[in-house]
Amino acid sequence: MNDKDIDEVLHQAAQTSDALEPALLQRVAASLQPLEPVRPLPRTWVLATALLFLGAAIALVAAFHAGFYGFAKMDLLERLLIFSTLACFACVAAAEFVHSMIPGSRRLFTPENLLLLASILLLAIFALLFHDYHTDHFLSAGILCLVTGVAHAIPVGLLGWLLLRRGLALNRVAAGLLGGAFAGLAGITLLELHCPNFQAFHILVWHTAVLPVSAALGALLGYLLNHHLRRTASVGPEGTRPSH
Amino acid sequence: MHADSELERLMARYQAGDFAAATALIHRVSPQLHRFFLAQFASRSDADDLLQETWLRIHKVRHTYRPSEPLLPWAYAIARHVRVDHYRKSLRASAREQRLEEICSAPFVTSNAASGPPGDELAALLAPLSESQRELLAMLKVAGMSLEEVARATSSTVGSVKQKVHRAYKKLREELGSLNLKKGGSTHQP
Repeated sequence: MNDKDIDEVLHQAAQTSDALEPALLQRVAASLQPLEPVRPLPRTWVLATALLFLGAAIALVAAFHAGFYGFAKMDLLERLLIFSTLACFACVAAAEFVHSMIPGSRRLFTPENLLLLASILLLAIFALLFHDYHTDHFLSAGILCLVTGVAHAIPVGLLGWLLLRRGLALNRVAAGLLGGAFAGLAGITLLELHCPNFQAFHILVWHTAVLPVSAALGALLGYLLNHHLRRTASVGPEGTRPSH
Repeated sequence: MHADSELERLMARYQAGDFAAATALIHRVSPQLHRFFLAQFASRSDADDLLQETWLRIHKVRHTYRPSEPLLPWAYAIARHVRVDHYRKSLRASAREQRLEEICSAPFVTSNAASGPPGDELAALLAPLSESQRELLAMLKVAGMSLEEVARATSSTVGSVKQKVHRAYKKLREELGSLNLKKGGSTHQP
């Protein structure tokens, strides 16, 4: 038996399935009334651009407030490589975040692959550019940077979620992870603009860590929301549907 | 392709509040959605419920469909989600019933569709496959969706879908091959 035979068997089996009762279809149609017109969601690039503006605005305002010491200390090559990489990944993460909120969208990367790829590429670029291997105040300065990055990623993620609130995340954990990853990239951008500590291990460990930590927080938020909604749905009486 | 663009036009009119278009869309898409549920071990009544629930969900989130995009991956992504929700609910319900059964020590008959005969030839044919493989073949062969559309509906990549379909066919070849051998060996088979 070859693939063509299997195709034929499947096709025949699909054709011989019972016909639907017309009464069921009428019931379904009747349940859609009253039918109000709705405004479709904007295109992906519109929503992704709005997300990018949001992330850039929060990173820039925060850096303006804290000072552009890191940016001022960088040479042209460092600026070009770091910020163009961050911008590229921010574009991809924003588009994937939007896609995760729209059922049936085309996916270029799985959320885990995107996170892994972004983390590895950032690590490679930081390792390539920074060669000061001193570790002064490694823990205290590092934790401060991590907290600063994540603290600025949180509003980006939450506002991003607010921006896409009309969408529908079928997999909330994946959507949370992508939203967190996008927000984490905004957090790293702020650190690169502000942090003048160019010690290689400081940047490799603490700056890059903002990305997975933010993504994990986003995924956790998605998981908790999932859990809460399921509990709410199961608490209701039999037959009642959860409200959206 | 032409039929697909017709579906998308109907969906756009449904979003604009045209009830006739919504009804036409229900009549066009429901049979394949129903078969999709039946192919995954849903009983006839469960498939009816799942179909109604899917349309209610589609109605609630109809604004998330973008007119330039293909309709079937969008609808099937929602249908999949409804089926998974239903599966989880029935698992919880059967767990509760099982606890009750343990307390009463009485014979227990489950109403779960998975335990009874599927009542559909397609479901029986796909029975040896895993849940995700059944789901993919139901979309590809029952709904006639392309690999790209199935990848969209399942939030995965085309490569991953191809790989799963390849494995599913391999398993079906083995199962159907051994079935044919048995049939060939027995004189009592119709």
